[in-house]
This record gives sequence, C-alpha cells and structure tokens, in this order.
Amino acid sequence: MLRFPIEQRANWQQMARDYGFHFHTMHGQAYWDESAYYQFTLEQIERDLESPTEELHQMCLHIVDKVSKNDELLTLFAIPEHYWQGIADSWQAQEPSLYSRLDFVYDGKSPAKLLENNADTPTSLYESGFWQWLWLESNVDNNKLSKAADQFNSLQEKLVNQFKVIAHYYGLQHMHFSCCKDTEEDRGTVQYLQDCAKEAGIDDYFVFVEDIGLGQGGELTDLQDQVISHCFKLYPWEFMQREEFGPYALSSNTAWLEPIWKSILSNKALLPALWKEFEGHPNLLPAFFESDLHKMNTISGVDKWVKKPIFSREGANIDILENGRMKLSSDGPYGEEGFVYQAFTPLPKFGESYTLIGSWLVNEQAAGISIREDESPITQDMSRYLPHIIL
Amino acid sequence: MTSSDQKLKRSSSINLAKMRKSFSFKPLAVGVATILVSACSGGREEALVFKNVEDCVNQLPDMAAKCQTAYQGALEEAARTAPKYNSKNDCEYEFGTNQCVVYKESGSSIFMPLMAGYMIGNMLAPRPYYQPMFTSYSRYSPYRYNWISADGYDYGDTKKRRLKVKPSAFDKKPAVTRTISRGGFGSSVRAKSSWGSRSSGKGWGG
Repeated sequence: MLRFPIEQRANWQQMARDYGFHFHTMHGQAYWDESAYYQFTLEQIERDLESPTEELHQMCLHIVDKVSKNDELLTLFAIPEHYWQGIADSWQAQEPSLYSRLDFVYDGKSPAKLLENNADTPTSLYESGFWQWLWLESNVDNNKLSKAADQFNSLQEKLVNQFKVIAHYYGLQHMHFSCCKDTEEDRGTVQYLQDCAKEAGIDDYFVFVEDIGLGQGGELTDLQDQVISHCFKLYPWEFMQREEFGPYALSSNTAWLEPIWKSILSNKALLPALWKEFEGHPNLLPAFFESDLHKMNTISGVDKWVKKPIFSREGANIDILENGRMKLSSDGPYGEEGFVYQAFTPLPKFGESYTLIGSWLVNEQAAGISIREDESPITQDMSRYLPHIIL
Repeated sequence: MTSSDQKLKRSSSINLAKMRKSFSFKPLAVGVATILVSACSGGREEALVFKNVEDCVNQLPDMAAKCQTAYQGALEEAARTAPKYNSKNDCEYEFGTNQCVVYKESGSSIFMPLMAGYMIGNMLAPRPYYQPMFTSYSRYSPYRYNWISADGYDYGDTKKRRLKVKPSAFDKKPAVTRTISRGGFGSSVRAKSSWGSRSSGKGWGG
C-alpha cells in the first residue's frame, strides 16, 4: 500500500460535467482528489480486504439473525418496538439487499480493523463504481499508468446484476428511487443507482423523501399520485422509524431497498454485539455497550476509546477518550439514543493525511474499495476521495 | 500472463455512452475505450392503437378474440393506473367535459378520465401486450387530441393508428390513487439541519 503523486487529467472537470459528476467540489473544497493515488498489491486486496469483507458480512448477518429474535437486544439497538415484527419478517423472508460499505483502518501490513458498517445508506458510490474506474481507464490510455494496472472495483457490474436479481425476486418492472431535497451528493448517488437499475431493465421513477404522500387505502405515493410499490431510499431507517409516515413504511405494500432488516446492521450497536460474539477476531476492534463499560479495563494495551452515538453519520458527535478523559471530539446533532465505545486505532498516515478504506459489498460479495483522506484523525464528511490501483 | 486469461478485479466494461449526462460538441481529448453500443439500444417496436373493440375488429377481423381480451385487460389497467382526481371539475379541466367517470375505491368518490383507446403490441403472439390510452378534449390541456399513456407519455396525434414505441411502453405502470397527505417523511432531516453547518451539497447517507 503506497501513495504516489500523479498528474491530474487536464480535462477531468469537463468530463465531470459531461458525465454529471457535480459534487466533486463541495463548499469550495475539493472532494475528488486525483493529484495522488494509492497502489495495492493483489495480495493486499484479496487477503487483507476482499476476504475479510465477505467474512465480516457473514458475521454481521449472524448478528442480524440473533438480534431480530431478541427483544432485549432490539431495545439495546434503540429500534422502536413498533418495527420489531416487521424486521423479523423481513429477515425471515430473506428480502434481498443491494449494497453496504464497511469502513476499515488498514495500513497495508496489519489486519484491517472494522470501524463501522454503513449497511443502509452508503454514499460515495458513484465516485467508486464509475468515476475512479474512468480515471484508471483514461490514465492507462494516456500511458500515465501501466497497462497492467487493475483496480478493486467491480461495483457497477455487480450492482446491475443485483438489480436483475431483485427485479426477479419481486417480479417488478418499475421501481421508485428517493432521497432528500437540497443535497447534490445524495441526488447524484441515487441517479447512479437509477442508471444501474435501467441497465438491468427496470423502469425508474424518482420522488423526494419529503414529497412522498399517503394515498387512500394506506399506500405511499409519489407526486403524480402513483403508488410506490418498490422503493430504493437513500434515507436512514432510523429516521423513517421515528417519523409520522414510519408506520406506513410497514403497513403499505411498499417493498424497500435496503430492506428493513438492515436497520440492525447500520447501527453502531452492531460493533459491541460483534465483539461479544466473535471476541478476538483479527478484523474486529474491542467494543462495548455503555452497560459493559467496566469490561474496558480487561482489554490490555488499549488506553484510548472512541465514544460513538448509536446513530450518527459521517463522523459527527464522535469523542476520543484517553484514560477516561476527553481528548478530541466532533460536534453534531446525534447521541440521544445512547453511545457505544470502541477501542481507538489510529488511521494510518500517508504524508500529511489520515487514510480510511471503504470496502464495498453488493449483496454478499465484496465489490471494491474507496479511499478517503482527511487532515484530522476522525474522518468527517468533508474528507477527500482518492482513486487507487492494483499493481 | 496475457490479458485474456487475467481475471480483472474491476468491471470489465461500462457503457460510457449511457453514463453521459450531457453531450458536449467538443470531442473528448482522451480516447476512452470500451464504448459498447448495445445492439438493441433504441430498439423500437410497432404498436397499434384502437378506440374500442369494434375499431380493432374492423381493422383486424381475424383477431377479434385478441381485440376483446386486450380491451378488457386495458380497461382494468386504466382503472388501476389512470390519474385520479378529488372532483369531477378538476378531472374535466384536464380531460374535457363529460370525459370523466367515478372511480370508487373506498370512502368518498374519486374521478378518473375515460379510457379513450388502447394500444396493442406483438399482435401475432398468443398473448399480445396492451396498455390503456387516454386523450384530452380540454383546451387547457397540452395533451389535447393526443394519445397519452397513464404515466403521461405523449404519443402524439390521436389520428395516428401506428406508433413506434420502446419495448418498455408495455411494462406494467404504477397504480395511481388519491393522495391524502404529504410530508410525513423528512422531519428528522429538518430537525438535524437546524444544527450547525449542514447545508446544500452534503447528504444524509454515510
């Protein structure tokens, strides 16, 4: 795992316009950064990232199975009781899922450590599945990178394929896609998934989350009053479950992507639950519920802990504790549902930046990685995205 | 190892033409490889539109049974997928005087436009495809005297009988109902947006 500087493609901003990649710069700061790239060996990819990703996913599914049948755990996961049966049913029916992203601390040498599982609403998908793929293609064509260079990134191929599987499972010909208003990044991500669905032969309709209506007979509708029979939502289940229309998400005939059983996975309570079940696994960091804090002392060699809200997005409300004292914290609107504690592992530093690996899954298959860099050891939502190659 | 027996870790091909969102007239400076134009992209098939069963049978005397079956199917689809209105006035404003009927679901009445015709595709197959068609006689409507499908696709002048349509034209359309209220999702975002620096651009994914 090495970081190399590289000349930016002269025309990449024009290409971004042509392909509709509008959020490469946000709030005046670069988000897409092709002034450098990371290089991995095939062994690093396959042994250290691909296999652990698929293994961790299976471990996570084991937790879903356990939690979905256990009222005490569902309470600990801060899932409102109204949704317990729906989650159990959705899990028992094995409703198909589309994708997830596991975030790893990985330095190229030691085993990758799972920081969290973004199983419900992962973003940076377009940049990973398409845009970094195009970056490699054009740099190979320009002889800036070796023809032998590959990339761990079969995301788009696998997404299209999984949409076909989902269409077959539900016997569907059309699907609605939804995200919140006023976010170019989310809209761009959803548009990418619409493109993948179209490629799989699905007719796509779009409606903003805020515009979803409740129709006569209890069905959810779009702005044309069309019934939303199947819906991909880039909107967290934990929000939906606490909102006015939440109960209709279950009682209507709408089938959801991601399915509601994923609210167990996209939840930080997953981390202590995994540690409890698979303590000592090389890809896990010790993690505890607030009720088990006394066990933190039994873990030798860890003097720093990260305090994470059960629900939070992109590094918000995260505190680092050293010997029980607050060292570093990030602000945010999360935390009312409680916290979990995870052993602190520093992100590796390459040059001036801290590096985080996102490892993608499409359904159960590892499908590629994305790399984010930040100047702060807590990766926030403004960290930069860098491409990678395998050589 | 030659490239042919090398197992790639990345998508082997992506249809770049389909990924483009705008078309610049300047040629791309980089020659981008692997542009695949799928053989069936843009493929269209012929469909026929009839005003009613009689119209269909007059045109295709040998197909009377299919004309009837497709008509019945289209009528059911019309009820399911046609736009719905709270009042007869609203409906007639869009579709014209006496062009609307009551569609009863439960509770109060809902109004929907009459099916003005039906489109049949793949007529030679044992089970042809069909889709209800609507038109407007209202001078307030941009669809006046045009064939439109339930989801608002405009197929042009109702004088036309032969249409070139995409195969997806016969896909099942979403059902349509009357919406009672909106805005029941999104309150968490409104609450959390009032905190700090979240503004346009960044999303609610992770």
